[in-house]
Amino acid sequence: MAVTDPILSVEGLQTSFHTDKETIRAVDDVSFAVEPGRTLGIVGESGSGKSVTARSVMGLVDSPGVVHEDSRIRYHEPAFVQRMARRYPDRTRTRARTSSGPDPDAESNESDGFVTLEAFEGSGTDVVVDRGFVDLVAAPEAVVRAVRGREIAMIFQDASSSLNPLYTVGNQLEELLRTHRGLRGQEATETAAALLESVGIPDPHRRLSEYPHQFSGGMQQRAIIALALACEPSVLICDEPTTALDVTIQAQILELLAEIQADRDVAIVFITHDMGVIAQTADRVSVMYAGEIVETAPVDRLFDRPGHPYTEGLLESIPGITRRGNRLATIDGRVPTPTGDATACRFAPRCPKAFEECHAVHPSLVSVGDDGDHRAACLLQPTDEDEAGRLEYHGGESDGEVGEDRDGDSSEHHHDEGGPER
Amino acid sequence: MSRWEYFLRRLLLSIPVVFFGATATFVIFRFGPIDPAAAIVGEAATEASRESYERTREQLGLTQPVTDHYVEYMRDLFLLNLGESWVISPGTSTVDLITTYAPRTLWLGFWAVLIPIFVGIPLGIYAGLNANTRIDYAISMFGIVWRAMPNFWLAVILLVVLSQSGQLFGFSWPDFLVDTPVTGTPDLSALGSPSGFAAATKQILPAAVVLGSASMGSELRIARTAVLETINSGYVELAKANGVSQRSLVWKHVLRNTLVPLVPTITNEAFLLIGGSIIVEVVFGIHGIGYLFFQAAINGDLPLVTALVFVFVLVVVAMNLLQDLLYVLIDPRVGYDGR
Repeated sequence: MAVTDPILSVEGLQTSFHTDKETIRAVDDVSFAVEPGRTLGIVGESGSGKSVTARSVMGLVDSPGVVHEDSRIRYHEPAFVQRMARRYPDRTRTRARTSSGPDPDAESNESDGFVTLEAFEGSGTDVVVDRGFVDLVAAPEAVVRAVRGREIAMIFQDASSSLNPLYTVGNQLEELLRTHRGLRGQEATETAAALLESVGIPDPHRRLSEYPHQFSGGMQQRAIIALALACEPSVLICDEPTTALDVTIQAQILELLAEIQADRDVAIVFITHDMGVIAQTADRVSVMYAGEIVETAPVDRLFDRPGHPYTEGLLESIPGITRRGNRLATIDGRVPTPTGDATACRFAPRCPKAFEECHAVHPSLVSVGDDGDHRAACLLQPTDEDEAGRLEYHGGESDGEVGEDRDGDSSEHHHDEGGPER
Repeated sequence: MSRWEYFLRRLLLSIPVVFFGATATFVIFRFGPIDPAAAIVGEAATEASRESYERTREQLGLTQPVTDHYVEYMRDLFLLNLGESWVISPGTSTVDLITTYAPRTLWLGFWAVLIPIFVGIPLGIYAGLNANTRIDYAISMFGIVWRAMPNFWLAVILLVVLSQSGQLFGFSWPDFLVDTPVTGTPDLSALGSPSGFAAATKQILPAAVVLGSASMGSELRIARTAVLETINSGYVELAKANGVSQRSLVWKHVLRNTLVPLVPTITNEAFLLIGGSIIVEVVFGIHGIGYLFFQAAINGDLPLVTALVFVFVLVVVAMNLLQDLLYVLIDPRVGYDGR
């Protein structure tokens, strides 16, 4: 586990799309956390559920998509938690943590509470919060809207379509500065120019009065980053921000994001299908496949000793890592569309190492190695057990207290609910 | 600024268009299937009528060489020296006829453009913002039905229903608010006074609803599609993710972008009104420019027909310029790399 507390944590996130024909489980029991100043990479092929994960965190999943109500998306920024606790005292719960004694007077067990305080002083509208979180799944729409942009901002893949073509870049920047920071007139213009300058756009005052079509692709992405930074968010979700850019511009943008992270201590969730980009940016990597996280590890560990055959496949398909003259390795087939409860390994049909049980037992995340920092959902793990022992870990062919992993993290449970709820 | 350069270019380009339109009218007049002089004089059976036929030919300029006639004709057109009517109202200048008849059509067209804009487009936008709900289905159905009903049929049905509204609904349209007949030409002389305005508006309304019906249907459908397209665009999603307020999202980011595909639709529908007004004016007995054109055409009053066709050419070119102007105002991308 990381030394610092996470700023954003997601546990058991499930997002499904209900259509007349079927229910597509685009995100199925995904958990991750990211700490201030750190970068979490989420990597996977197209259709693995990466973007839906990002949109779920932002509350941007539109009908017919539904974020399952048992999912937990927690935002831990103390100042924001305190603001929400003061604004919604009736929906604030307390939870004792080992370091701070529980306060029986402030205890309220509202079942519809979405603000949870873990370390605080005072109560009601005067509460001072040291540690706690806001659950964005249970929170009302107004709270989610207050989070967007101001607390968690997002950068999308296609820069050219992410700016409104009918308004100047300055207009769009100043709108955000006005909405979130109450800046107007000259002050807003100066702040907007400073923002453009900070993302490396030369001659910012002239650029403010230009329209998006007058910007090049790289400049558009810089302007979008400026928009995301306008409200000084604590978390930045980047959904393939460099995919549409050419390689030199891509390197510049990645460098810019690294600078911003160093300056502002912002947490970054970096979504991409490009293992090379992950290697450059991420501190920690989660590999997604068919709506699930199949492996998670610190970036070096993942690249050195991947624990899941899918990760191995992804690493082998990076151009340049394989020896010259050889054909680039690929993973045959496509990501399946998950429609029901997982009863088997979803990667098994494409897996070169699949054996019989892979088609009958759904693997859960288990530790690879000893420290619990590297986990993979594969029946080949943990490698120090024989096949029967491994299956027991994953909850197959046994009635014992299994399915739970050794470090006992509750986020690892494999849910057994019936169908997804409407 | 390149947007205004673009508009200036369009303005200059419309000059050859008008020139070409005028030439085409000349060709219709001079080489068309109807001999203008014969249409005016009638059968040239007697010596006297032969003489008057020759005289008419000379007056119309048909005896000159084609090139001389063309030059003279074009000069007259551009000086708005549009000649006289020969059959409908012999001896009256066409300019006088047009200034008498045109305001009625303008009044009709004004309402026929306004109704779709203020009923069709808001309904379409509402349907788009609430896509795939019951109300969206109801509105879309309404739009399709309205679009599909032919003008001449709708006009006749509306006439029947309104003139018998007393017996049918116990509500008499002719007596409603101000006394007006169901058909006939509205009196535009008293537009300044409230009662005069009400009477003129009420009387033109059924015809305007019919004339604007198809436009309303298509503008509704296109507004809905445009809203849906904008809502699902990257910049609306990004604005949402950046915490732009709901109100600004709809009013600033969605609506203005929706206008971009709507502008050409509105102006194109307005062209159709020119053709449609002929049918509607005849059915409702409104003596407007469409009615005048119809009468001139069936009576072979070719000087009047050519003058009217020239006026229609001017109107269409002016509408196109208006469309370009609106484009320039709404969309900053216009004229950018567009040459």
